[in-house]
Amino acid sequence: MAIPFDQILIQTVNGLVNGMILALVASGLTLIFGIMDVVNFAHGDLVMLGAFVGATTIAATGSFWLAFLVAALVIAVFGAALQASTLRPLLGRDPLTTILATFGISLVLQKYALWQWGPSARKIQEPITGQFAMFYLEYPWYRVATAFFAGAIIGAFWLFLKYGRYGIWIRATMQDRIMASAMGIPVPLVHTAVFAIGAAMAAASGVLFGPLGGVTQTMGFDFTLRAFIVVVVGGMGNLGGSILAAIFISLLEAYASIIVSPSQAVIVSFMALILTLLFRPTGLFVPTPSSSGACWRCRRTS
Amino acid sequence: MAERWRDEPWATDLWWSGKTTRRRVLGLGATAAGALGATLLVPPPWRAAFGQARPYKIGTMQPLSGPTAAGGKTALVGTQMAVERINRTGGVNGRPIELVIADYESKPDVGRRKAEKFVSEDRIDAHQGGFMSNVCLACMPVWEEHKIVNMIGVCLDTTITTTRCSRYTFRPFDYAPAQAVAFAPYLVNKLGKRWHIAYQDYAFGQSARDAYVAEIKRAGGEVVGGTGIPLGTADMTPFLSKISGNFDGLFGVFAAKDAVTVATQAYDLGLTKKYRWAGDGSIAESTNLPAIGSKIEGFIGQNRYLPVFEGPLNTSYHRRFFDEAVAALKKIDPTGPTPDRFVQSNFESMNFLKLGIQKSGFQGRQDSAKLIAALEGLEVKESDDFPQGDKSIRREDHQAFIRQFIFEMRGGKHRIIEVVPREKTVFPAACKFA
Repeated sequence: MAIPFDQILIQTVNGLVNGMILALVASGLTLIFGIMDVVNFAHGDLVMLGAFVGATTIAATGSFWLAFLVAALVIAVFGAALQASTLRPLLGRDPLTTILATFGISLVLQKYALWQWGPSARKIQEPITGQFAMFYLEYPWYRVATAFFAGAIIGAFWLFLKYGRYGIWIRATMQDRIMASAMGIPVPLVHTAVFAIGAAMAAASGVLFGPLGGVTQTMGFDFTLRAFIVVVVGGMGNLGGSILAAIFISLLEAYASIIVSPSQAVIVSFMALILTLLFRPTGLFVPTPSSSGACWRCRRTS
Repeated sequence: MAERWRDEPWATDLWWSGKTTRRRVLGLGATAAGALGATLLVPPPWRAAFGQARPYKIGTMQPLSGPTAAGGKTALVGTQMAVERINRTGGVNGRPIELVIADYESKPDVGRRKAEKFVSEDRIDAHQGGFMSNVCLACMPVWEEHKIVNMIGVCLDTTITTTRCSRYTFRPFDYAPAQAVAFAPYLVNKLGKRWHIAYQDYAFGQSARDAYVAEIKRAGGEVVGGTGIPLGTADMTPFLSKISGNFDGLFGVFAAKDAVTVATQAYDLGLTKKYRWAGDGSIAESTNLPAIGSKIEGFIGQNRYLPVFEGPLNTSYHRRFFDEAVAALKKIDPTGPTPDRFVQSNFESMNFLKLGIQKSGFQGRQDSAKLIAALEGLEVKESDDFPQGDKSIRREDHQAFIRQFIFEMRGGKHRIIEVVPREKTVFPAACKFA
């Protein structure tokens, strides 16, 4: 069966755009897991809250970029408060406790959004309008731009982690909390800051995605599910792995949707998840424990 | 050595650690119980007007959370408006209506459980409401088993009043075959012969797709392709970017949040410029318009209700309904949307139930047979109870037929371009009650 070239190219662009937005969401999620062992089921709802804050700011000021900044800042502060008040007391307990707690937070946030902003969907006007011809379609420039914005945010964050003083604190805490604490790094503060950064990244993706389909109180659900697949396939707590996995999974789905319906194409990401759990449970993009001698997580918990 | 987080100073230093004593829990529990008891002593609002008259308990199930919560919340406004008006004007047969509300979380299994709770614990006399077709279908056997009249408020799935019809279920508004009968001639004769249908891939969308495929063919046109998109899909671009080929029009069947997504993304991909863009009126519901913005311009749709005062909708009945609905919607939505067809059909559905109760002398669940007899064939005239227009419920399948509006979106507003009288929307009955 011949696959039309136009479909391959269109789906490649779709896959890359979706992959970059997903990578931005998943980065926050994997960062939070990597440093605190918290599986944050409310991450998608932080995306949603960010989008609502962005929509409200745009309605008041008319500026997309201001809304982008305000949403990221507001949700970062909210995330820090949430971590300090709700999740910090649960650290070190059975992982099920944090899963249940974040699931509860997710329900509360959805209900709050419904009460605060009402049931009607909100609009975020895209800052870049216009389309370019791509075979039989007119492809919106904004979709392409979102991939670049997401890439720029992830890149800036990577540089911060690699070279920034506080970025080094975060990496040290991720590698070994006790040793980091012994070296004078304020571990609880790092935890709170990382949760705030993760929340801000979620809010940024909410504002970026808002113009593509409207803002509603349930928009986070789709993100949460897909981001979890990405985080597991990329390796729990592995930032680079999650970014690669987001692009890999999105492209896999996009290419599968050339042959089958896009709703059936989603199956391939679940297959990737199952195969990863069976054959490389540490993730596709991290070294296996046997090849590296000992994994950092093994050191942390032994 | 395993880590002991709770032993670390920063984890134990928190203000609430170690302070949750049994005495405190008991104290808080007693306070909460006292507060709950106090609220139980406050009489319900209808008590002052009706004294000791026993209320009719009417259950209403809506999706107040989950993907279709937005639609469920506005639909509930229609039901509540009707009940408040009924109670304000003396109730039904001297008895008030007590509305028992349940949220089925946009899930059929939860809906079924809530329906069973309505029957066994809340002991409702009748049910009015429903929003998602798959939930309506899941709950119909419960109403039938317990002989409870079910007056639907929104569900559009065709089989509800055809192959899966029930003596206990009534649909006092249109359904997909009637909509297709009304709209297909316009689509084929004015917009184009060849169509591609994109639809929400569940009961409502599939029913509408089947009805339009049949009626477009009957009108001399052809449906050359279809794209089903699962409920709640946040990014429809992978689906929409596969739509191509030689056809005249793209027809959409979507509701609620998915309608916003498809209208936005079909425009972004240039599909609404390349093809004539038409569809079910739920895409351009007034509650969706603020989120879609100017991307809905030029859309041609069909709907049973429009929030405009043109043609047959320019009546004092409609103005009163509209004003009351806008005020009620403002309470749940700060953007202050205008009413949509979900508000209208729930409002009128509850009023149908009221008329049936009045006419039959219905006292409770044991009189369901009398209520059914009163509702079968019931004809109503345009009035404050039925601002949308005249309508009747067909005896053979409990399906109503009502007039339809074909409209175009111009300047962000609905403009009526054709009114189809209800006589021209009739579709043959296909129901055999068990």
